Amino acid sequence: MQRRDRGVAQSLGGPLTKRVKESRVLLVGAGGIGCELLKNLVCCGFGSYQSALPTEDGTETSPAASHVRKAEVVVIDLDTIDLSNLNRQFLFRKQHIKKPKAFVAKETASQFNPSVAIDAQHASIFDSTYNVEFFEGFDIVFNALDNLAARRHVNKMCLAADVPLVESGTTGFMGQVQAIKKGVTECYDCNPKPVQKSFPICTIRSTPSQPIHCIVWAKSYLFPELFGTSEEDSADMAVTEGDNAEEVAKLKEEAEALKKVRRMMGKSEFAQEVFNKVFHDDIERLRSMTEMWQSRKPPEPLSFQSLSEGPSIVKQGQTLALQDQRAWTLLENISVFCYSLETLSNRVQGGENVIEFDKDDKDTLDFVTSAANLRSHVFGIPLHSEWEIKQMAGNIIPAIATSNALTASLCVMEAFKILRSQPAKANALAEPTANNHIPTKAQSTAIGKPEELLGGSKMVFLTSKNTDRLITSQPLVGPKADCPVCSPVYAKLAISEERAETLKALVDLLKRTVGYKDFSMTTEAGIIYDPDLEDNLQKPLSELGITGQSNGFITVTDDSDEPKVDLVLSTTIRRSPVDDAEATGLQITPKKIELPLKPEAAYANGDMDGDAEPEPVFASSAGAKRKRETEEEVESAKKRAKSDVYVVEDDGAILLDD
Amino acid sequence: MTEIAPREVTPPPLQAPTAKEKKYDRQLRLWAASGQRALEESHVLLIVGDENLGSNSTVAGVETLKNLILPSIGNFTIADSARVTDADLGVNFFLESDSLYKSRADETRRLLSELNPDVTGHAITTHLSEWLELENSLQPYNLILICAPISLEYLQQTCAYASENSIPLIYMHSAGFYASFSIQLPHEFPIVDTHPDPESTQDLRLLAPWPELEAAVDSIGDISTLSDHDHGHIPYILLLLHYLREWKTSHNGQYPSDFKEKTEFRDLVRSGARTNNPEGGEENYDEACASVLKSIAPPPVGSGCKEMMNMPSCTQVTAGSPNFWIIANAIKKFYDTHGVLPLPGSLPDMKATSTEYIKLQSIYKAKARADVAEVTQTVRQLENDLSRMSTKIVDSEIEAFCKNACHVRVLTNPNNASIPELRLAISDAKTFAGLPGLIENDWEGMLPVFIALDAPRKMDLSNLSEDADVQESYEKAVEEVERVQGGELHNISSVLGGMVAQEAIKLLTRHKSSTQMAQHLNGR
Repeated sequence: MQRRDRGVAQSLGGPLTKRVKESRVLLVGAGGIGCELLKNLVCCGFGSYQSALPTEDGTETSPAASHVRKAEVVVIDLDTIDLSNLNRQFLFRKQHIKKPKAFVAKETASQFNPSVAIDAQHASIFDSTYNVEFFEGFDIVFNALDNLAARRHVNKMCLAADVPLVESGTTGFMGQVQAIKKGVTECYDCNPKPVQKSFPICTIRSTPSQPIHCIVWAKSYLFPELFGTSEEDSADMAVTEGDNAEEVAKLKEEAEALKKVRRMMGKSEFAQEVFNKVFHDDIERLRSMTEMWQSRKPPEPLSFQSLSEGPSIVKQGQTLALQDQRAWTLLENISVFCYSLETLSNRVQGGENVIEFDKDDKDTLDFVTSAANLRSHVFGIPLHSEWEIKQMAGNIIPAIATSNALTASLCVMEAFKILRSQPAKANALAEPTANNHIPTKAQSTAIGKPEELLGGSKMVFLTSKNTDRLITSQPLVGPKADCPVCSPVYAKLAISEERAETLKALVDLLKRTVGYKDFSMTTEAGIIYDPDLEDNLQKPLSELGITGQSNGFITVTDDSDEPKVDLVLSTTIRRSPVDDAEATGLQITPKKIELPLKPEAAYANGDMDGDAEPEPVFASSAGAKRKRETEEEVESAKKRAKSDVYVVEDDGAILLDD
Repeated sequence: MTEIAPREVTPPPLQAPTAKEKKYDRQLRLWAASGQRALEESHVLLIVGDENLGSNSTVAGVETLKNLILPSIGNFTIADSARVTDADLGVNFFLESDSLYKSRADETRRLLSELNPDVTGHAITTHLSEWLELENSLQPYNLILICAPISLEYLQQTCAYASENSIPLIYMHSAGFYASFSIQLPHEFPIVDTHPDPESTQDLRLLAPWPELEAAVDSIGDISTLSDHDHGHIPYILLLLHYLREWKTSHNGQYPSDFKEKTEFRDLVRSGARTNNPEGGEENYDEACASVLKSIAPPPVGSGCKEMMNMPSCTQVTAGSPNFWIIANAIKKFYDTHGVLPLPGSLPDMKATSTEYIKLQSIYKAKARADVAEVTQTVRQLENDLSRMSTKIVDSEIEAFCKNACHVRVLTNPNNASIPELRLAISDAKTFAGLPGLIENDWEGMLPVFIALDAPRKMDLSNLSEDADVQESYEKAVEEVERVQGGELHNISSVLGGMVAQEAIKLLTRHKSSTQMAQHLNGR
């Protein structure tokens, strides 16, 4: 009889099938890519080993078994399901709206292959539960995330835990997959990522000239002032050098006055008060600053009394708010403004203390659209429809099923290559990571031959411009020697819960084990120690936010003339008993740490230029050159082969001995 | 010939946004209401081949359908006469334990239908020989997908039907780590919205200004007398036009044409910037200098558009011509009269006061509207002359065409060539003649995948190349295909299903150009 997993076993071959089945996999995110990934993992048998051979009572059979790493797929997602997910996140249906993505994804995917153990967790990956030890428990981690912060966080955790990471993302018809492994490949942060654009505060608050300025004003100033927690700072706007200090001070006063208006929420005249404050009084004040308008058209204040048409206005607003495809007129915007303000006020009165702007929360979108348009009108800027404003205000990225499906399957393809190339982890809880900066023998031979990195895994792109070639790839590149995230050596600091050790104990331990002379220490909170900062030495570590339960890092920087690379410590609770002979309850693993010298470019003053960069980067430029040559070859091959059977696609050869 | 032009472009709905619009929000931002409507009007047929080798690429086929059902095609039909086996259960996500021994077409249809209640699924469970022969058996479908392997007879029949009826067909094959697909395009397949690179779409008409734009340059007056603020806020487009006038007076009325002249012109512009300020320059002048090389060029006409204007379908329209060609004919008339295409009318962001910017923007928009009006008038005249008044082309379709005119493309399949797999199977002389060249230039080593998957069994593979290594790669590939015995690896079929669906979406929504190359994948 045919076995259920015949296809998988036949294709992957015996040894890899076993690795796949025995693997323990972490999937971060159960959205567009996450749903597809979970399906592929389940259909390829990832994490199906143990449950395929269950013990009779379902418990572990021997004490030794308690060390055994359980084969399973762990999926973590913080989000709940929204209607706009259903066009691509295929594990979800209409009846699942508002339920946690992780749970529903598990439920739907389990129906396919009950022998795969799926552990679903509805939580944030930033939670301290998910510390370095947690990450060490996996053979491979998949990122299926939609934001930079979480991507960078998982990248760092995987570097610290020395677990391979498959990073991916899509935008519209495009997609990208990248495999990352500490000391072997570039990490997510080796290449700087674009930062969110921030507008000068005076442009937003005093002299807008484009629709986006008014949208940012409505979304990041007016809305939080009325419905958010006060004193919120938005990344959308910042005081810049070009901003006039005097004007900035005035703007602070203006915001204070708005807070007074906020206290009238719930009273019938609230909408009128807000309206007159921001579209009349504040505009009059701006107009009075004549020097500002010498060469600009001054804004025209609006008056609520002369425009509104009585109590029916809210009702009209409610109807208008359903028409999101055309730009509303001035009067219509006022109606929607009053309607949304009333709806939001009612929600606050109903106990919702703080409301945050969310593009999928229609009430907040109605408010931001109408307020932004009214401000545009005041400044003579064109008005826009709610549909258009939603995209601008919500940073909506187009997303389709096909790109996600493709990208997710490419992720699993890379995972096969990685699993093939990595020795299986011991079937026991992993020993603390070895000194993971110095390439092992196998890895060092790979440097300079980047195509061999991670079993021939590649950086893969779904392209949309080139119609001859749907998927392109390029060899992975070695780590950047001066990358602040992956160039340090990662180690662990075990902290005994019985003894409350001080910072001094840690300083002494570092001097003893690593041989530091001058050095400094930094946590997320800032510098906690350097040779001139001794105030903290007698404080217990816990007072500095360092405990065995946090998932934060301590960065140790060598301040000597010929500095070594940084040492980054993650913390754990010390499990082994403290020996009386030991002077401290702290323990650093691995016991012996050898830090290589920092590459000069990383600490030398002045610009770095290409010539000064060390070897792995050389490998990168070689990779780029190789790519150029490759493209030329494609061109010439095309010219030679004048037929329309043209062969393209992924990979060179990875030989599998099966 | 059946209608092959884009379906009418639906104007954005003026009514309340429905739950449906919300559900498809993220994709509507990519292919708009027009693409969505075309998608919802489509009926996709998936034919599973009758050779019953392993799972017969059904996983790839079903994954493709999944990716088309989610964004909401109207209907799909699965034609598959096989029954569900154990091996199917382990690799196909859209089957469950209870499906065992039942009809595979019925079961996959049922489970796929759960994905989206807006889509209607159908199943044909009889053998190809029973239903394909029936009259009009393929008539309901506007896209045919074939899961290989399939008997030559049925492949030929289906490809011929697709070609005669101008509908696209996609052939796909997945086995082990190998996968491939090919598209058979209709004779002509026009695409209006090709999603060009936003950088390349700018058309400022600096070398062909119209009277209103000239007037805007006049209104600046004498630049040297302006206040520093005003001088620093002249929109760079007007700056360039101003300096172009200056250039022409000293160059016999000629515009800067080659790289050298453009560089000189840039220096001329730069020399006009005021530098007696803390910044030591002016932002609008910087913008002007930066755009010289790109925007000092004759109004663009894309190569795809030029080709289109020369096609007989464009020059000889008839009462039965699809909308696309009626508008194309009007666009050609416009071009022949004015030497330029209709102005798209969009303006890049630039340093300027709001008032000035809006003024300039309205000059461009007004010109674009006037151009659309002229093309519309020609279209109406044509409709009148051809007596096709009953099927009036909607304004928004004409407008969309004018906006994208420069980048319009007509994909063609000049000789109605069928997919390479079929040509190989029928030992097409031309295909065979081209093979040695392909083998020699196959620098990525992907041809063995194609040959191993789809070469007819009777084909002699023992002498493909004189290079022993190359020859060995073919033999290894053939061995690999034999080894897996048609067994699909879910993940590879999922890649294939993603690729095929991606191209199918482009074809169905008529957005973006799809690939015309056979695509092969080696997942190793």
